[in-house]
Amino acid sequence: MWFFRSPDIVFGEDSLSFLNTLDSKNIAIITDKNILNSGLITKVEKNLPVDSKILVISDILPEPDYDNMLLHLNDIKNFEPDLFIGVGGGSSMDTAKILFALYERPDINIYDITPLVKLNLRKKSHLIAIPTTSGTGSECSWAAVVSEKNEYRKNELASPEILPDYAILDPEMVLSLPREQTVNTSVDAMTHAIESYVAKWANPYSDALAEKALELISNNILNALSNPKNVESRNNVHIGASMAGMSFSNSQIGLAHALGHSFGAVFKIAHGKTVGLFLPEVIRYNYKSSRTKYDKLNNIFPDNIRKESLDLTIENLFKKMGQPVKMGTLNINENVYHKNFDLLVELAENSTGIITNPEDIDRKGIETIFNKVHGD
Amino acid sequence: MAIFPGPEWADEYVKALNGNSEYKDAGKTWEGDITFVVQPDEKYSKTWYLYLDLYHGECRSYKASDKETELKKSEFKYTGKYSNWVKLINREIDPIQGLMTGKFKLDGPMMKIMRYTKAAKEMVNTASLVKTEFGA
Repeated sequence: MWFFRSPDIVFGEDSLSFLNTLDSKNIAIITDKNILNSGLITKVEKNLPVDSKILVISDILPEPDYDNMLLHLNDIKNFEPDLFIGVGGGSSMDTAKILFALYERPDINIYDITPLVKLNLRKKSHLIAIPTTSGTGSECSWAAVVSEKNEYRKNELASPEILPDYAILDPEMVLSLPREQTVNTSVDAMTHAIESYVAKWANPYSDALAEKALELISNNILNALSNPKNVESRNNVHIGASMAGMSFSNSQIGLAHALGHSFGAVFKIAHGKTVGLFLPEVIRYNYKSSRTKYDKLNNIFPDNIRKESLDLTIENLFKKMGQPVKMGTLNINENVYHKNFDLLVELAENSTGIITNPEDIDRKGIETIFNKVHGD
Repeated sequence: MAIFPGPEWADEYVKALNGNSEYKDAGKTWEGDITFVVQPDEKYSKTWYLYLDLYHGECRSYKASDKETELKKSEFKYTGKYSNWVKLINREIDPIQGLMTGKFKLDGPMMKIMRYTKAAKEMVNTASLVKTEFGA
C-alpha cells in the first residue's frame, strides 16, 4: 500500500487570477523582504477578492529556524485568517505550512508535525503556495524544512496535512528570477526528478512525473537562461520543477540530497548548487542498482546535450549552465573543509536521503564520494 | 535458527546489534530505551514485547516477555502486528513506509528520534541479519 498526494494545480499565464475566485475574507501572506520589494506581492494582492483583509508577513529569512518561523504566530492568531498564502522560495512556503498548522492546532508541538500524528487541520483555514523560483517543489510537497538554531542541522517536518490545497504556477512570478537563482533552483529540480526516479520508494506516479519534469526542464532551461523573459521557456521550466517536486514528494530523495544538505549546512552555499555538485558522482555510485532507469532518463535529454551515460549528460548540461561538479570551483576554505570532514560525513549519514537512496552506503562510501568531488 | 518471537531471537538480535559497527557509530550519542511490540493477528495469538536499553551505540540490557508489566516502561514503543514484523524482518516492508501506512506505530518524542535516522535504519537492518524461524 502506498499513496499519491498532490495539491490542486493552477498553472500557466494569468493563473494568479484564480485567487479572485476564492471566498476568503482574511488572508495572511507569508513571504520575504526581497519578494516584497520586487513587487511580486503587489501582483498577488491585485488578484485577491476586493473585500478581503490582508496581513503581509514579509520578514521570513532564508533557511529559517523555528524562532523566525514563529515570530508572528500571535499576529496571525489575532488576525484569524481563513487563508494562508506562502509566496516565495522554499523558506516562505515552508513557513506558511508551519504557521498554518500551528494556527489550526495551537495545542500541538511543532515536532508533532509528522506523518505519524493525525492533525485534523483545515477547521479554520486553507493553504495556497505560490512559488517565485522554479525548483524547491515545496508548493507540491508535504514537508517543511526547518533549521536548528546554532546547529548545522536541518529538520524535515512532514505531514500529508500540510500539503497546500492549491499550488499556483504563474510564469509571471519567475520572469525576473536572476540567472544564478534560475541555475540553482533548476539544478535542484533536476536533482529531485533524478533522485525520485531511482529512490527506493519510487512508484509509477512518481516515475511518470519525473520523466516529464526532466523533459520539460532539459529542453527549456538553456533558453530560459539566455532569454529570461521568454514566457514559454520559463513556464515549461516552472511546470517541470513543480512536477519534479510532486515526484519526490511521493517517492523521496536520495544520496545527492543527503550530501548536499550536509555540505550546504557547513559552507552556507545555496541548496541547489550543493545537491547538483554531488549528483554526477552519486549517479555513478548508484549505477550498480539503477543503470536501466538512469539509461531511460538519459534518453529524455535533447540530442545536443545527451552523452553516452546520464552522469556525463548531467555534467555536460551543468557545465553549459555554470553549475559546478567539483568543489574546486566553489572557493571553499580548505582548512574548514578538512577540519569539518567528520561532521560533513556524520550529517550526511543522518540525512533522510540516505534511507531511500537505491544503494545502501556506509561511512566509508560517503567519505569516498566527498573525496572524489573534492578532487582528491 | 532463532524462533521469532521468543527469547532466543531476542538474544541473537541483541548479539547482532552489538556486533553491528554501523549501528555503534550511528547511535554513539543515543541514550534511551525502546520496546518492540508484536501484536497478535490471525497467525500469532499472543502479544510479545522486547525491551531494549540502548546507550551510546550499545544495547546494555534487554528483556523479552509476553507480559508488559514485567518490563520497564520505555521512552519509545514500536508496535506492529506479527505478520508485519515477519515482513519487516524479511525486508518486505520498509520500516518508515510501514509507519506511514499504519502497519506499524511509533510512540515517543519525535524530535529525538528524527536525529537518529541512520541508527533507526541499522536497528531494522540488524533484525534481518538474525537467522530467523517464524514461530507461528
